[in-house]
Amino acid sequence: MFLVSVWAFICSVDDSSTQMIRRPLMICTVVGLIMGDLSQGLLIGATLEVMWMGIGNVGAYTAPDVVSGSVISCALSIASGGGVATAVTLAVPTSILAQQLIIVVSTVMVALNPYAAKLADKGDVKGTNKLIFFPTLAIGLVRAVPTFLAMQFGSGIIEKVVAMLPEVVMTGLGTAGKIIPAVGIAVLMNVMIKDGKMWIFLLLGWVLTSYLELDVLPVTIISLAFAFLFDLASGQGQVVTQQSISTEDDIEGIEL
Amino acid sequence: MAKITNKDLNQMILRNNAARLTFNYESLQTIGLMRAIAPALGKIYEGDQEGLKRAMHRHLIFCDSHAFGNAFILGISTAMEETTAEDEKESITALKTGLMGPLAALGDSLVKFVFVPIFGSIGAALAFNGNILGPILMFVLYNIINWGGRIYGVKIGYFKGLDFIEKNNETNILARITSMANVVGLMVIGSLIATTVKVSSPLKIVAGENTIVLQEMIDSVMPNLLAFLLTVFVYKWLKKTEGKHTAATIIFLLIATVVATYFGIL
Repeated sequence: MFLVSVWAFICSVDDSSTQMIRRPLMICTVVGLIMGDLSQGLLIGATLEVMWMGIGNVGAYTAPDVVSGSVISCALSIASGGGVATAVTLAVPTSILAQQLIIVVSTVMVALNPYAAKLADKGDVKGTNKLIFFPTLAIGLVRAVPTFLAMQFGSGIIEKVVAMLPEVVMTGLGTAGKIIPAVGIAVLMNVMIKDGKMWIFLLLGWVLTSYLELDVLPVTIISLAFAFLFDLASGQGQVVTQQSISTEDDIEGIEL
Repeated sequence: MAKITNKDLNQMILRNNAARLTFNYESLQTIGLMRAIAPALGKIYEGDQEGLKRAMHRHLIFCDSHAFGNAFILGISTAMEETTAEDEKESITALKTGLMGPLAALGDSLVKFVFVPIFGSIGAALAFNGNILGPILMFVLYNIINWGGRIYGVKIGYFKGLDFIEKNNETNILARITSMANVVGLMVIGSLIATTVKVSSPLKIVAGENTIVLQEMIDSVMPNLLAFLLTVFVYKWLKKTEGKHTAATIIFLLIATVVATYFGIL
């Protein structure tokens, strides 16, 4: 329990700095290792990874917190023996609650601005190092403390609730885990489809996988060719126009 | 004035990692970026305390991009701090402000829309079969990109940044790479709809003696059609509400699926 909270602390600080392990697949695998059930960790991690495919801080969209959602839901569902359906269900509310906490932290952090201005007033280069001490602690704890509390008080309750729920609800929740990826993907589409004609590429990728049953990797490689053609066709490269201008000059030169 | 060495750039790379820690709703990552460039400024303005103070204040002017964009901006502004005269320093801020938007768009479309979904779906496919290689592969592949961008962002920004900007003005390369990444991203997303979103219905239509399984019928016309329609529907909804209700949408789908399962529709 303590170790999981430490892991939450590490993931949290990483998410705000080096961003090496910020995805559910990597987070949940380690949670599974700590809790002594690696296969469940892998399964939950893979499910959440797919479920939150497009969820992350992009543009103006405030995203549910993937890190807390992964750690807490994975740890609790392994502790309560609830399996993947429990993890999916818990991941949604925990990630949304954690998102609110993180908004609070980002608001409190506004206090750093006058402090940084003071350092600049003094020309204090060494002092700038201190700027991250408090944020590191705050960001680490904002995910570690809820993880600890959820595991301390939550697992017993969740075990009882899971036992109480009828079979059909658990099946439904399992199905929901496969439908929810639509939201993440829709978020990505919202950011990426800036003009109408781009739809055709989405359709193309979908058809390649749906009908030809190609995996993501071959589709990516095919898409490189289309990206190149798109670049040529949209003629944004002014290199081409400059070359044509210079050939015109050459022709004029010859004529003269 | 001391020359900036590779050691200083490495320190900048390390400090750039911590930029997001200072994220706040007034200046986003600005403070962290000032902290990242501060040691280099200290070296450039050695013995010129007033210049250093002005420089530190200059880098507290709002700047926020993707981690790779931040790296590039740090590199190029260090190079400019070294070369510009005191009365031209405003151009540094102008350059930073001009770069942060396009670089954020490029970083997001490469990392978040292309690499993370691809590596994530490859890793998840392995992990679903209980293969520990899934997360390990994802970690390795993702961090090659992650660290590559952070390290070479600073180095390219410092050594070649100004050439790059000049070239960009001629060839518009930044916008072009971004729109190419957008094409790749959209095709990947399209493919992911087919592989990750699973909607199927056990509904049967009984017509006389024949029973038509609805899902089989749909599959024979267009496989994964329901998944595609659902995704497009959610997309339209999020677009209409300007993405304010992402969380509520997830909860709604969760409940709706359970209800639909109860009635045997899903």
